[in-house]
Amino acid sequence: MTSPDEAARRASRLLRWYPKAWRSRYGEEFAELLIADISERPRSRPRTADVVRGGIVARLAAAGLCGRTLEASAQARTSLTSLGCCAAIFVGFGTAMWSQLTIGWQWSEPDAAATTVAMVVMSAAILAFLVLALAAAVPVLWSAGSRLARGRRQGLLGPAVLTAACAVIMFVGSRHFGNGWPGTGGHPWARQGLVPGGVAAFSWASTLSVSSYWAHPSALASFPAAELAWMALSPLVMVGLVGGGAALVRRTELSARVLDFEIRLGNAACAAMAVFLGGCCAWIVDGGPGPRNLFHPGAIDTAGAVVMTIAFVAARQAARMARLGTVRSR
Amino acid sequence: MRSVSSKRTATGQDPTLAGFGRYAGPATLILASLADGAKHGYALTKDIESFSNVRLAPGTLYEALARLQAQELIEPVESHDRRRPYQLTAVGAQALQAHLAAQRRIADLGLRRLASSWGIT
Repeated sequence: MTSPDEAARRASRLLRWYPKAWRSRYGEEFAELLIADISERPRSRPRTADVVRGGIVARLAAAGLCGRTLEASAQARTSLTSLGCCAAIFVGFGTAMWSQLTIGWQWSEPDAAATTVAMVVMSAAILAFLVLALAAAVPVLWSAGSRLARGRRQGLLGPAVLTAACAVIMFVGSRHFGNGWPGTGGHPWARQGLVPGGVAAFSWASTLSVSSYWAHPSALASFPAAELAWMALSPLVMVGLVGGGAALVRRTELSARVLDFEIRLGNAACAAMAVFLGGCCAWIVDGGPGPRNLFHPGAIDTAGAVVMTIAFVAARQAARMARLGTVRSR
Repeated sequence: MRSVSSKRTATGQDPTLAGFGRYAGPATLILASLADGAKHGYALTKDIESFSNVRLAPGTLYEALARLQAQELIEPVESHDRRRPYQLTAVGAQALQAHLAAQRRIADLGLRRLASSWGIT
């Protein structure tokens, strides 16, 4: 027999699987149901599994990736925010992979056609990401800026400051560590690669934390302390940048036209992700190590491809849900 | 007797169970249970178990309740208790009627064909 206190404790634990907004709406009544159910059937694995699954579904719904958000009007914005976050994860891992290859090309051209084609395809996709990110940021920044200018700072100032600060830190840090790397710019073949050496070094430095060195502490110990600090700090800065941007999108009143525009850009970003993934897979499967092992695909690249595939699938789903959200709100 | 006449919800949603996917089963059971009056979560579970022999697990029950509420097929009833009861809306009653009528047509057809081809009555 389960005591009422024990049932309440277990119900409270199970309730934590659900997101905060869901709990504030349904938490009390759901807890009462769980307490009654636990009192009647003290041990039930199917019930636990069902609650865990329900909590995960509720969290995905709250992120705009399935079902409905609790607030129907926020559906499109929530899904767009998730799309942006998925795209940021994809671009983070993609840039890490691409910058390694572009730096390799500074030294020597790849000898495999698959790597050459993959590099061109991935470079075109990276350029597309850059253009799309700028096009997506302008209307959001404009809307947020005009709201701030009108003195309606409630809930916007914090994310705006966080985004700006993280963007500055990311730029300055990447410039600093990109310039310090001896692999680009300091040798006779500099600027012979597919992209300018400075761009390759900047991209490399901005994604320095995506590295297999984390699995080799002894090798990591030989790194300069400042570089290690940047490897640890830069992901946090990136999280701040993406989180701040996401909060700006969620809290800024975007017009239906802007939302529609952003969703189109999101779909275009998904297409660019598919192109990039195609190039990346061609390199991993068929590229080969290349001259002086410069283009050798390692375990970190395979892991990166898996993460990017998951991010791509989630971004596609978010784009679909965002479109559905605009249809529902009309 | 309550009047059931509206074709769409206030937010313009289609008042059917068509978009419920795998929740159509639980949604039908919940609507059928609420057809004779408001009930809270545990009462719903017990009532559904008694008439269908199906025990809806808590997570599944609340996913279906949230969807039904979003579609305005059910609504919460004011309560001072922590256990919030839900009741059928007019649109929900109409959706349930349409869904059950469609199910009955399928059941009738299946039974007729079983009788003619297999002699099972």
